[in-house]
Amino acid sequence: MSATREVIANGNELAARAAVDAGCKFFAGYPLTPSSEIMHVVSDLLPKIGGAAIQMEDEIGGVAAAIGASMSGVRSFTATSGPGISLKAENLGLAQMVENPLVVINVMRGGPSTGLPTRVSQGDVAQAKNPSHGDYKSITVCAGNLEECYTETVRAFNLADRFMQPVFVLLDETIGHMHSKAVLPSLEEVQAGIKLRKTFDGAPEDYKPYGVGEDEPAVLNPMFQGYRYHMTGLHHGPTGFPTEEIETCRKLIDRLFKKVEAHQDEIESNEEYMVDDADILIIGYGSASLAIREAVNTLRAEGVKVGMFRPITLWPSPEARMHALGQKFEKVLSVELNQGQYLEEIQRSMGRLDIEKLTKTNGRPFSPADIIEKVKEVF
Amino acid sequence: MSKIVMRFTGVGGQGVLLAGEIFAAAKIKDGGFGIKTATYTSQVRGGPTVVDIQLDDKEVFYPYAIDGEIDFMLSVADVSYQQFKGGVRDGGTIVIEPNLVHPTEEDRKRWNIVEIPIITIAKEEVGNVITQSVVALAIANTYTKALDEQVLIDTMLSKVPKKVHELNLKAYELGKKYALEAMK
Repeated sequence: MSATREVIANGNELAARAAVDAGCKFFAGYPLTPSSEIMHVVSDLLPKIGGAAIQMEDEIGGVAAAIGASMSGVRSFTATSGPGISLKAENLGLAQMVENPLVVINVMRGGPSTGLPTRVSQGDVAQAKNPSHGDYKSITVCAGNLEECYTETVRAFNLADRFMQPVFVLLDETIGHMHSKAVLPSLEEVQAGIKLRKTFDGAPEDYKPYGVGEDEPAVLNPMFQGYRYHMTGLHHGPTGFPTEEIETCRKLIDRLFKKVEAHQDEIESNEEYMVDDADILIIGYGSASLAIREAVNTLRAEGVKVGMFRPITLWPSPEARMHALGQKFEKVLSVELNQGQYLEEIQRSMGRLDIEKLTKTNGRPFSPADIIEKVKEVF
Repeated sequence: MSKIVMRFTGVGGQGVLLAGEIFAAAKIKDGGFGIKTATYTSQVRGGPTVVDIQLDDKEVFYPYAIDGEIDFMLSVADVSYQQFKGGVRDGGTIVIEPNLVHPTEEDRKRWNIVEIPIITIAKEEVGNVITQSVVALAIANTYTKALDEQVLIDTMLSKVPKKVHELNLKAYELGKKYALEAMK
């Protein structure tokens, strides 16, 4: 393995650098607190490598332009916060339906509506699962430290091309703005790991972009290269033209699910911290996990056997692993900066309702003391 | 070195964020670990701003200062002083801009409150109010001895444009001078 790189930056800057290192050449967006540094950094970096970063007229224009760039075969992304995702929702549904790869970074702040613009929240976890109407299977990753702002953004670009759909990267205000040291993989290692979307190289008349296997993503050749096909938000057949034929419609939506579900092992990523000999399990993600980790260390020093399970891929959820942990642990505490959006998924996966919860929605982070107090109170 | 926790508070636009970044970066360059987090309001200017800086030899995971563990605070605005002073440990040092921050008598008993006219120094002696963050940086390091001075100065210079290097060096020297006088 080649040497690592040590940098001093905040999470937003690292996510932006990751996009560029992952081969992204296009950004379009509308700067929204607390995500704005992402746009600042790519506006500096992308023109230097022949790419482009455009501030569009609004959030909708931002995602639309990014989708357009992706249709031409270029890796592209947009970044915003929750209110921006709300505005982008319709186009995100289009990208799911036409199977357009795209990375969407959401640096979460307090909501709903304009909420608490400069304050931390994890209130967009449910939104990331289904930002727009209709049935599809979200892929959402969530950075829990500075390194992951970089590595998960890189991974998101590869997942987008692999599964041909938007991939969400969730940061939150704390992670996006905390400023410290991060140890990154070498540029060579990142570049060696880039896996671009599949393309079809047969005769153009044989090309059926959506005529793929039942658990496979569409094969969309970059536009303007001699392969003509149709893209539409309507239900469509193998060449992309609209149809209402019963079996085609059924198979299309089934495939949007199966292409993700059948390959979850390629997507799932979790961290388990001191779980093996623990009596109490705490589940949390993103910046909440920073406070949980401190709390685990403090409680362990006092002799309380606590461990942390941290999903890094939030959607699809690590349901099998959570189910197994639910069998092993009687005492489970869910910690998140919302009213319990992921708690519902934990309950579903574990098949039980007796999960303790610690939530906060006032724009302030958890402190380790909050968690220690809760553990002592309920267990 | 044991862990040092600092807090800089002011209002949006005063440059306290940059001072925090310089501290964290300098500690990392010196081979240790530094982390800075900031909390600010949605007002662009005028809202209370707080920057927490933790410097240690080993990695710190939780990015915010924990109330009661702050060794040193510096404040240039009363609104943020009042809101965030409670995190400073008993007996800790709080440097205030006396023209803008008004501690109570109880505060003076609980903490070592030091009055240094940071903004006046920047405005009148350095000649540019924007250098107040560097004056603050010098005062904080003189009090806490958190970092090798040269590493801190080099890091500071790497973050400001070349044409203002002289000005910022002057700001640093003045901040240090006032701090040393106050410590006598």
